[in-house]
Amino acid sequence: MTRIRGRLSDRLLSWRMLGGARQTFVDIFTRGRKNGMVVTGFTIILVVTLLAVLSPWLPVAKPTALSPDLLQAPSSSHWFGTDQLGRDVFSRVLWGARISLVVATLAIVFSLLIGVVMGLTAGYFGGTVDYVIAGTIDLFWTFPAFLLALAFAAALGPSLTNVIIAISISYWAGFARLMRGQALSVRERLFVEASRALGANNRRIMFTHVLPNCIAPLIVWASVGVADAITIESSLSFLGAGTQPPTPSWGYMLHSGLDALHEAPWISTFPGVVLLITVLGFNLLGDGLRDVLDPRMKGLRL
Amino acid sequence: MADLISYIIRKIILAIPVVVLATLIVFLMLYLTGDPVAQLRSPHSSVEDIQKIREKYGFDQPIIVQYGRFLVNLVHGDLGSSVAQGTTGTSVSSLIVEKLPRTLELMAIGLTISYSLGIPLGVFSALRQNTWKDRSVMVFTLVAYAMPAFWLGILLMLLFSVYLHVLPTEGTVGGFKSLILPAMTLGLGNAALTTRMMRSSMLEVARQDYITQLRSRGLPERDVIFKHAMKNAILPVITVIGLDIGWFVGGAVIVETVFAWPGIGMLITDSITGSDFPTVQGCILVLAFFVILGNLVADILYAFADPRVRLG
Repeated sequence: MTRIRGRLSDRLLSWRMLGGARQTFVDIFTRGRKNGMVVTGFTIILVVTLLAVLSPWLPVAKPTALSPDLLQAPSSSHWFGTDQLGRDVFSRVLWGARISLVVATLAIVFSLLIGVVMGLTAGYFGGTVDYVIAGTIDLFWTFPAFLLALAFAAALGPSLTNVIIAISISYWAGFARLMRGQALSVRERLFVEASRALGANNRRIMFTHVLPNCIAPLIVWASVGVADAITIESSLSFLGAGTQPPTPSWGYMLHSGLDALHEAPWISTFPGVVLLITVLGFNLLGDGLRDVLDPRMKGLRL
Repeated sequence: MADLISYIIRKIILAIPVVVLATLIVFLMLYLTGDPVAQLRSPHSSVEDIQKIREKYGFDQPIIVQYGRFLVNLVHGDLGSSVAQGTTGTSVSSLIVEKLPRTLELMAIGLTISYSLGIPLGVFSALRQNTWKDRSVMVFTLVAYAMPAFWLGILLMLLFSVYLHVLPTEGTVGGFKSLILPAMTLGLGNAALTTRMMRSSMLEVARQDYITQLRSRGLPERDVIFKHAMKNAILPVITVIGLDIGWFVGGAVIVETVFAWPGIGMLITDSITGSDFPTVQGCILVLAFFVILGNLVADILYAFADPRVRLG
């Protein structure tokens, strides 16, 4: 009993340690509820995610199931019509959402990890370490993430895992820049000095003091980042450098619909609508959270 | 003037490590694939051909020597030769030189559309802040920005070619008419970004004291905005021209593929599907140089527009 209580208080203690982070989450829940953009964005993401997660159990055809109804216009039995092989476009859009969301989320988690570690190390230690890392960050920042991802995806060969790797190593520079800037300013603050005087080591200061104070901008960036990653993933698949058929992917569906644009415009249009709505959802959430978490930025956004 | 020249020289020197890194990444791309020789030979090449490739690139030598060789070849304009089916043996640089003007043409028109739409729209929106006009412009930018270039291209194609029959679907057969849709697709997404940037910058400048002072002196509002506020408000838009060019280079790859526009972007896509690795490598390198050059030009433009930059 005491052991459990001990663990629990440990957890509460570490929760309290997060300091700035906890305030950030409290802000998101209390103020975010009143922000139209956050609510709209979150609702869109929730609906798309639910549909994606539940798609195997929904009463729709299998995304790879062929049928004799080729190029059927949208109807009550095929909401989004069928494609050149008679596959149900609605079902393929749903299954495509699974791919898009998984790839984008994983890619952003990985690039967040790379970015946080690189930026934190550079900003916190300064000196030569900073010089080298900041240089690398700037170089990666100069190139458009899409172009880098295309280069890496082309080199690694088209597959789901490779797309995730390609996006991760192309997108981290943004997070790293952000993290470095924050670390540079936070490390000068008095509480960092105080904690060093109390004998905290570098790693402890970095992860319990510097990092939690940067949570707010990181969350905003990550949300916009998922939107970017979805766009990059679908662009790569569109170009044939991403997920390969028969895996249903939005980008590839749009591409294959291009050949039948005259006879069956629905093959290309519906996946695009869902793609746009999803990207919009993550952008709205990011924009709204920025307003919520940093009221000074309100109305002056990019 | 002297300060401007020294600023430009400083910027050019700073661009050198970026160029080196770009070549290094493109060089290392070959090793990411596993077996570099497999990527450089055509599927039908004989044992002697493979041996030739090995000798040319020196795969038996240390990697640093290989990179040196890659750089020497690059300086001589030798990017290797294509291994795709129709173009086996053609030098990659000649393929690129052939396609490059098409891409430049597309990007030039796209950039023009983007700025001539984005800047006025941003100013308009800022001057009518929080009215329904401003709100509709903001909704437009939000949607245009979120819209992936390839899908926008497909929609425009559906509207103008399939339903209205006014513009050709793809290729270059229609002359200038063929250029309109791809350039519009490329320009619209970036116009959204320019609009937002222009709007927020205009709002910020309009709040400053010197603007209030000009107004209180009774200057016509038109002069206040266009003669005085614009000069400062346009600066942030100039700083991101470099980023814009990067965006355009990436966008061109997609847009060219959608509209079968025979530029570098189309060449990359074809080479990826045709497993023509040397061509992919060459194109990526050329596009990377474009991005670096674009950033350099933007930095220099910015120094021209804002003297504080070159003195700082």
